[in-house]
Amino acid sequence: MHVHELNPKKTLVTLTLFVIIIIIGLLTLSQPRLVYKMDMKQSVDLALNNQGFVDQTELSDLLKNPGQNTVLIDIRDTYQYGRGHIPGAENISAVELLSEDNLKRIADLDAQGIKVLLYGNTLTEANGPFMVLRQIGYNNTKVLIGGYQFYQRLESSKGDSSKQISCVPDQAEYNYAEIAKSNGTVTEGDSPAKKPVVIERKKKTNAVAGGC
Amino acid sequence: MNKNYIILMSMLLVLAAGLLLLPEKNNTKQMNPEELMWDIVQPTRYVTTDDVAKSIIEQDPLLMLVDVRPESDFQDFALSGAINLPLEGFASDDTRAELDYPKKNIVFYSNDDLRADQAWVLAKRLGFNNVYVLRGGLNQWIKTIIQPVEPAQTASAEEFSQYTFRKGASLFFTGTKLSTTATTKESVVVTRKKKSSAVAGGC
Repeated sequence: MHVHELNPKKTLVTLTLFVIIIIIGLLTLSQPRLVYKMDMKQSVDLALNNQGFVDQTELSDLLKNPGQNTVLIDIRDTYQYGRGHIPGAENISAVELLSEDNLKRIADLDAQGIKVLLYGNTLTEANGPFMVLRQIGYNNTKVLIGGYQFYQRLESSKGDSSKQISCVPDQAEYNYAEIAKSNGTVTEGDSPAKKPVVIERKKKTNAVAGGC
Repeated sequence: MNKNYIILMSMLLVLAAGLLLLPEKNNTKQMNPEELMWDIVQPTRYVTTDDVAKSIIEQDPLLMLVDVRPESDFQDFALSGAINLPLEGFASDDTRAELDYPKKNIVFYSNDDLRADQAWVLAKRLGFNNVYVLRGGLNQWIKTIIQPVEPAQTASAEEFSQYTFRKGASLFFTGTKLSTTATTKESVVVTRKKKSSAVAGGC
């Protein structure tokens, strides 16, 4: 004689409880704290269209009216921040930005219509953290083209209106095909500056060297 | 058949069906955002132009260069052996298939390193772990490999050997041939010191 034949009701109750527990487990335990709100297609568009990139004009306006509608966040380490940072910027590392408190603060700022501008030494440095924040749904985040290095160049060229400084993300500084083409044959002992090659350089528009 | 067996069977079938349907929502196999942020702040994804030049010259079979610029830029100029996967296509399944080489070291590059870094973030999200970024991109390639800058006289020996490597790499990549002119060998006259009877090495 099997147990379930003796107590059909008990078996049924046990089984139902079992199923309910499994369903609860599936629904609650598998949710990570942070989830992507953007799918891959939207993320690719975010990257390609330079969405959220802040250029020097916007930066100058921002710095004239500090604290009005943008919070500046320096994501570099404490040492670099200490050596110099954009006035008014707070120092919060990228990983710290994902803490519950910081995310709540960013969401609150969004509700007030305030933007959060991230910057690193270069655009590339802050772009990764910016992309993650956008992808998990914090749409009031932005990132500074050129980073702190570009800011320093801007500051040092202030008042010198002859110097037009620009910074375009991922710009080619050379005509690669021209520069890297063959120089024919050279003899050992030739000076590094090879005369016969006519190199047509793309007009250097005072673009920031070393990337933006 | 016993009624209880039937009830049991049907309940288990319902449960199995539920297990099949429910996990679809979370089963995207994408990287957790917190993990991704942690990986982003590690500098280990950057490879230098010297590393890549060396790998190309040595014909490293594990190197897989991926140019993420538009096709027209790729046609104008690309690094030896690179394939073109424009950033536009990173959401498509085709791109995912093209990146599916777990044993290779996939190095993204672009004009600078922004687009390559964006590609890296997207690839990491999709779950690819063997991905890297060429630091400084093609701009850096020109500055270091094609047109290396001679170090100052006060520079370290390391910098000089690096410069020597880069000069050679420049010849390699521009297809420039190096011709060595035969120097007329001067007859070398060897004069031996006359052995005097003086004791060498002191008394």
